[in-house]
Amino acid sequence: MRFNSLAFLAFLPLFAAGYWLASGRVRLWFMLVASLFFYAWWDWRFVFLLLFSSVADFALGILLENEQEDRRRHRLIALSIAVNLGLLGFFKYFNFFVASAADLCRSLGLPASERTLHIVLPVGISFYVFKTMSYTIDVYRRTEKAERDLLRFTTFVVFFPELVAGPIVRASRMLPQLRRDHRFRFEQMVSGLTLVASGYVRKVAIADSIAPLVDIRFAHPEAHNALSLLLGVYLYAFQIYCDFSGYSSIAIGLARIFGFDFGINFDRPYFSRSFSEFWTRWHISLSSWLRDYLYIPLGGNRGGRWATIRNLFITMLLGGLWHGASWTFVAWGALHGIYLVAQRLLAPIWNRVTGALRIPALASNAFLVFLIFHLTCLAWIFFRASSFANAWQVLSGIISVHGPQLAGIDNRGRIVKCTLMVAIMLAFEAVAFLPKQRKAVFATTEGEKVTVSAHPLEASPALRLVFIAACIWVVLIFGSFSGNNFIYFQF
Amino acid sequence: MAGRRRALIWFAALLALVCAGDRILAWALDQVLVRSQFRFSRLYRGGNDAGIVILGDSRGVHSFYQPEIEKLTGLRTFNLSYNSMSTRIAEAVLRDYLDHNRAPRLVVIEATCTIPEGALAGELRTYASFSPRLAALYAEGHPDGALMGRLFHLFSLNSEFYLEALHYWNQSDQDWINRSTMPASLRTEPPGGWAQPRPENVEALNRIVTLLRQRGIEVRLVIAPYWPVPVNMPAIANAIDVSVRRADPQLHVLNYAGAVSDPEEFADRVHLNERGSVALLEILQRDGVFAIHPPAPR
Repeated sequence: MRFNSLAFLAFLPLFAAGYWLASGRVRLWFMLVASLFFYAWWDWRFVFLLLFSSVADFALGILLENEQEDRRRHRLIALSIAVNLGLLGFFKYFNFFVASAADLCRSLGLPASERTLHIVLPVGISFYVFKTMSYTIDVYRRTEKAERDLLRFTTFVVFFPELVAGPIVRASRMLPQLRRDHRFRFEQMVSGLTLVASGYVRKVAIADSIAPLVDIRFAHPEAHNALSLLLGVYLYAFQIYCDFSGYSSIAIGLARIFGFDFGINFDRPYFSRSFSEFWTRWHISLSSWLRDYLYIPLGGNRGGRWATIRNLFITMLLGGLWHGASWTFVAWGALHGIYLVAQRLLAPIWNRVTGALRIPALASNAFLVFLIFHLTCLAWIFFRASSFANAWQVLSGIISVHGPQLAGIDNRGRIVKCTLMVAIMLAFEAVAFLPKQRKAVFATTEGEKVTVSAHPLEASPALRLVFIAACIWVVLIFGSFSGNNFIYFQF
Repeated sequence: MAGRRRALIWFAALLALVCAGDRILAWALDQVLVRSQFRFSRLYRGGNDAGIVILGDSRGVHSFYQPEIEKLTGLRTFNLSYNSMSTRIAEAVLRDYLDHNRAPRLVVIEATCTIPEGALAGELRTYASFSPRLAALYAEGHPDGALMGRLFHLFSLNSEFYLEALHYWNQSDQDWINRSTMPASLRTEPPGGWAQPRPENVEALNRIVTLLRQRGIEVRLVIAPYWPVPVNMPAIANAIDVSVRRADPQLHVLNYAGAVSDPEEFADRVHLNERGSVALLEILQRDGVFAIHPPAPR
């Protein structure tokens, strides 16, 4: 079930009614059944895969905690990783590896038959596999206690807001929240609805309006001039940002309505002044996962300059591959790896130059934001392109600077509309950079304080009321109701 | 309980605010729509006094360059054609034109009749409040959208049509024409067949012809140029010709599919550019297609 479907608009109030009427274990059962129904709406057969993954890691978690002998614990964690990566490898990468191996054989002059299978990619598998895998690794590291309640653990894995496209909420954050019975809180509901409303604006009004403009440029790059293709790349940068941050915002907002704190997943990434900053602002739950479960275990920055560079590069390559079974995603990851490595090597020189020339911090930061955004856009070309040939067509079309006239650009009205909406969104984001307004604190059901990113316009329920109404008007007048899928569903 | 009561009041306030804002904003945006120089806004505002009206899809837009027709004939001309407009939609638009404006003396129709219904139907909601005909056509293909439009008036203004109306707020859209030439890649493709006329469009064309005859308005059915001419074009023209003669035995489809043969005069294989349109219009003028015969003496 998609968040932007009529079915979901019917599902949500029913879920809310059931959730607030139930309590204790009845509520957990209700959450589990409703979440499985949400998932089964897409394809009921893959519910069993989801349950298998949950039960396997639940059992392995308990075994890992009970086991004292190191060698057996190594085997158990290896088994957990093998099960999780095996599922991911089969459903997501089998055909990719077979086709790549066949290509390699052919290029070496060896005979190769390409026997691929017709495999349907289960929605959300990349997200829930990473979630359950991080749980068993945490139990193995003894930083997390094994969950002994199968109902609670399965509910943690399948809870619908984050099930199909994240954020990847780890067990250490979610399981303690599932152990408590959340009471209805008006402030949390309004705060959550605000996030949901802004998420819908990003997805339905901005990302889905941009989508056809980008699709046509990447489908027929030869029919567009340099300026038109460049616009297409800029628009894609905001399409994917609004699509995914919109989904995250809806997911986090829904969870907050029901008393759960998922943290944040995006924090104005296109205002980043470095690539390391970008990766602390973009898909935060994935980048922190890769840091904690891949980069640091590889050695992180502990082994000297070249080892750090190698670790960074491997992490980004695999991060790219996580997004999809295609070499273009690997190229995207590799580009980001190169950016991070280059930044490490060049940052000291940059600091010396700006210091010696006494370039004001504002000018230096503005230049860096501009540079990082454009290099990110360059990488997005590979992320969006259907093949390397397609990426090259787009790139060469831009570089050729052939016919950079406005007259050659189709759909100018729609481009103006999308650009205006993106500009308004960025202005809203920029306001949150004002001092003393970046964070807001609200109380959870248990009375503890939670700090969340907030906007000055969200200061009171009355202002939020106006904000949500404005979001609904924007969606009504600018929204695209063609039922586009979220881009990250395919990952 | 206090929190839930507060939430109920808050939701009621949100609903009231959303509905009030929807009506007020939609009213304000409607004022922009009706004052625009976009062809459909002009149609429903009324007061047009054109001698010649052009009807068709994108081939009607780019084959019949309105300023050139006015120059050649000396008659005020109004091009009602629009990209992807099926003949069924064109029928509704023409009937609305005749309801709101002075009847023209001649209607020229680009008669290829191959556009399916769905392509433009979604856009009709913007003018549905002005036209029960367009409202019915929209509701037929988009029942959910029609319901949504009744609930939230802003939704009806969420369309490409509205963006066009904004774009042509204070400038005429009647000089809209392709100004590019056909890309080299298209010129090397071999000629192929073209889609057969759709039966529902041909039926609508017959109804248009009957209506215009009843109102004493002259009508010409023209097949505009292709490059190259599709191999099955004689059969297509003949099928339309046979069909319209059921409505008017005197009427013939005027097949100008091969009238322009220089690829430099096309923007793509089915659309002329400005130069091609001027060339075609000169041929049509020479052939008397725009000639208006005085009423026969009684």
